[in-house]
Amino acid sequence: MSASLAPECNEVKERYDTCFLKWYSEKYLRGNGRTDDNECASMFKEYQKCLQVALKDRKIDKLLDEAREDSKDYDTIHLKRK
Amino acid sequence: MVLTHTTNHSYTHPFPTVTLAFFLRYYSPQLNPFSAHVLSTDTIDSHVDPETGRLHTTRIHLKKSRMPSAIIKLLPASVTGGAGEKSSYVLENSIVDIKEGWMKTESRNLNFTGVLSVTESQHYSATPPTRPTTRASLPPLGSRKTDKAAANEENSRGRFGWISGWGAKRIQSSIESIASNKTDDQIIKSRDGMKMVLERLRSNGVVAVLRELNRREGKSVFEA
Repeated sequence: MSASLAPECNEVKERYDTCFLKWYSEKYLRGNGRTDDNECASMFKEYQKCLQVALKDRKIDKLLDEAREDSKDYDTIHLKRK
Repeated sequence: MVLTHTTNHSYTHPFPTVTLAFFLRYYSPQLNPFSAHVLSTDTIDSHVDPETGRLHTTRIHLKKSRMPSAIIKLLPASVTGGAGEKSSYVLENSIVDIKEGWMKTESRNLNFTGVLSVTESQHYSATPPTRPTTRASLPPLGSRKTDKAAANEENSRGRFGWISGWGAKRIQSSIESIASNKTDDQIIKSRDGMKMVLERLRSNGVVAVLRELNRREGKSVFEA
C-alpha cells in the first residue's frame, strides 16, 4: 500500500484509495462514473482534511501555488503563439 | 538549456487497463518492483467534469532523488524545497476520457526547480478496436521551467539568485547532463513497471490484486 507523505493520514488515505480504485475500475471505466454518485466523496473529504494540514506544515502548499502560477505563465505564452 | 526526449510505445493491453495501471503503478513495490524509490503518493484533487465526463486527477508523489548526494549537498534548502536532502516532490496531473479513449498525463518536479526542471508528458490513446493497443509517448525532459530558471539566473534577484554565482553554472550543467543520460534508462524502467502491473491486472481483476496485496500486509479490505 502506498503511503501518504503524512503518516497520520495513512489510514484515511488508504480507505479513499481503495474506494477510488474500485469505483474507477468498476464504474468509471465502464462508462458509469458521474460526479454526483461518487461513493468515495465523503472519504476524500476526510482525507483532504488531514492532508491539507500536512501540506501546509511542510510548506508544500506554497510549492503548489508556484507551480500553478508557472502553468498560467505557460498558458499565456502558449496561447499568444497560437 | 532545454532538452526534449520523445518515445513511442504500444502496449498489448486494452486501453482501460492501461489507465488503471497508471493509477496503480506506485501502489506497492510488490506490484511494481521499479517503484521502490517512491516514498509516498497523495491525491489532492479528483473530479469528473460533468460536461465532458472526463476524470481529472492531481497527485503528489515523493520520490527519492537519483541525484548524487555530493551535488545535493551543495544545494541550499531554498532549492531543495525542504523535502529532505534526497527527496523530490513530483506533481502529476492526469485527464482520462473514457468515451473518446485517451489519457493525458503531465508530471513535473516541485522542488529543485532552480537547478533542473523536468516535465514528463504522456499521451495514451486507444487505437481502433481491431487492434486493442495503447500508445504512450514520453516527451519533454526539461522544458518550460528550465527557461524560467535561466531567466532567474540572468536577473539574479529571484529566489534562486544564488545560482548566478561562480561555479553554479557548472553544477547546473552537470545536473542536466546526469538527468539527460539517465532519462532513457528511466523510461525503460517506468515502462517495465507498467508492464508488471498490467500483467497482474490481466490475470486478476483490480479487486483481487488489491486483496492479495493487503492479505500479504495482514489487512483486509472490501470485506466490510
